[in-house]
Amino acid sequence: MGVREAFAVGAATSGYVRRLEGRALEGYLFMAPALILLLAFVVLPAIWVLVLSLYRWDLISSDATPIGLANYQRMANDSLWWKSLWQTCYFVAVTVTVGTLLALGLALLLNSRIRGRSLFRAAVFAPYVTPAVATIVIWEWIFNHDYGLLNSVLAVFHLPKVAWLTDSSAIMPSVILYSLWATVGFNVVIFLAGLANIPPDLEEAARVDGANSWQVFRRVTWPLLSPTTYFVLLISSIGSFKVFNVVYVLTEGDAGVTGGPDRAAMTIGVYLYKQAFEFFRAGYASAISVALFAIILAVTLLQMRIASRRVFYR
Amino acid sequence: MRYLLLIPIAVVFAFPFYWMVVTSLNEPNQLYQFPPVLWPHWAWSNYIEAWNEVPWPRFYLNTIVVAGATTLLVLATSALAGYAFAAMSFAGKSLIFGFVVAIYMVPNEVTLVPNYITLTHLQWLDSYQAQIVPFGASVFGIFLFRQFFMTLPRDLWDAAQLDGCTHLRYLWTVALPLARPVIVTVALFHFVLGWNAFLWPLIVTSTDRYRPLQVALAGFNITDNHQPMLLAAGALMTTLPILVLFLFAQRQLVGGIAATGIRG
Repeated sequence: MGVREAFAVGAATSGYVRRLEGRALEGYLFMAPALILLLAFVVLPAIWVLVLSLYRWDLISSDATPIGLANYQRMANDSLWWKSLWQTCYFVAVTVTVGTLLALGLALLLNSRIRGRSLFRAAVFAPYVTPAVATIVIWEWIFNHDYGLLNSVLAVFHLPKVAWLTDSSAIMPSVILYSLWATVGFNVVIFLAGLANIPPDLEEAARVDGANSWQVFRRVTWPLLSPTTYFVLLISSIGSFKVFNVVYVLTEGDAGVTGGPDRAAMTIGVYLYKQAFEFFRAGYASAISVALFAIILAVTLLQMRIASRRVFYR
Repeated sequence: MRYLLLIPIAVVFAFPFYWMVVTSLNEPNQLYQFPPVLWPHWAWSNYIEAWNEVPWPRFYLNTIVVAGATTLLVLATSALAGYAFAAMSFAGKSLIFGFVVAIYMVPNEVTLVPNYITLTHLQWLDSYQAQIVPFGASVFGIFLFRQFFMTLPRDLWDAAQLDGCTHLRYLWTVALPLARPVIVTVALFHFVLGWNAFLWPLIVTSTDRYRPLQVALAGFNITDNHQPMLLAAGALMTTLPILVLFLFAQRQLVGGIAATGIRG
């Protein structure tokens, strides 16, 4: 290669490289606004919360005291923390299993050419999009002991009145009942999307081969739906671990005690809020945040592990 | 047969909304009865009374400003980033994209305390920007825009480039107008999210000047616990705009939410 050609190639590549660099810079510039916001308000805080959990700080005074793992030791001995954790697990277990089954049933009922399908879907989905505080406020009245709608339904069946909000054994079921009403529509929509992805000829072929409805569901629909079921389980358990609004609005008020009678509806989300923004224990609240994050991460990984063996992808 | 199951279920799901209307339109002597009165007595005065009790117009304005500005910010940041991930080439692209998707795993609750401290340092507590900026980027939005922009034919960009078109100009004049369904989905999703936001505004607002509807309603619930008709009227006032939006844009809203689930 002569000198001239070498120069030409060199010039061409450097021009190419410069152009590539210019393009790369442009790409980074396009991403920058979103990335900077995500870094500043999600990624760095998620790391920072780990550091904060090693300090004692009241959010107001200028200096924070490093106290090592004392916040975690405190958690280990905090009976209200363990109570919140246990009650949150109970809430998650019930809402996720009942919510998923209910949603699957509803989606199967709705997955056909019936008249008014979109109307039914709208009725089930509306609670999910409407503001939670507004619907919780109405449910508070429905749960009312003396004049509530729920107790009058019980009266129709000659059942005794239940103190839905003031009895420590009834408050968690009330919270669960509201949450199922409010969130099942989301799962129904996801299941309907999943069902729409199943080619109808597969189910038809099974039917031609003499399978009854249950067999078609068990052998064809259910396995093909498993990625959707997995997604619903994952999303609803993550959402349920963070439950806050319904407990806060139902129990804050003239009942006076957030978390309900005997704190029987105290959950991790509400406990975290109380510690951080009512008692101003930034360090301890951060330790609780870390625990919540760890739990959600563990549940996600566990479900991913199970899914890798059980979920059937076509 | 299906209807025998579906109709009662739909009634059960819709009943609390009916109950909101009934409760808001009854007098106390109809409300404090057992069994309850199941139909409204058109006591419109409840609405006037509820309206005069707290500065609702201010709360409406706050909610609209926050939900609207958050939505616009999300659209801008998501369209730009989604376009970069779909149509531009630069080092570390797939790595950064994987990182962005992983961010989806971090629950908001985990970042409450650090973000509160950040806002304190910025002196943003009790302001609009405190409720807008932290939610200005959306992994969901970036993802949807990226998926859509990847479906645009490469020739379209090549042709535009020959005419001396820059990426930004191409995005604005060609890609975005084609992305209308994505824009509508992302906008609806984030507007509803902003309208319904509760925990974060509860923490960062302290005066009526910046408090949104949901936080105001929760406060109304605590102070006015003994007047269910006023509460129901307030609840209906804060719900109605979203309910109307939902009924008109049901297809887009539901479709957008289903889109997040199709390829979990």
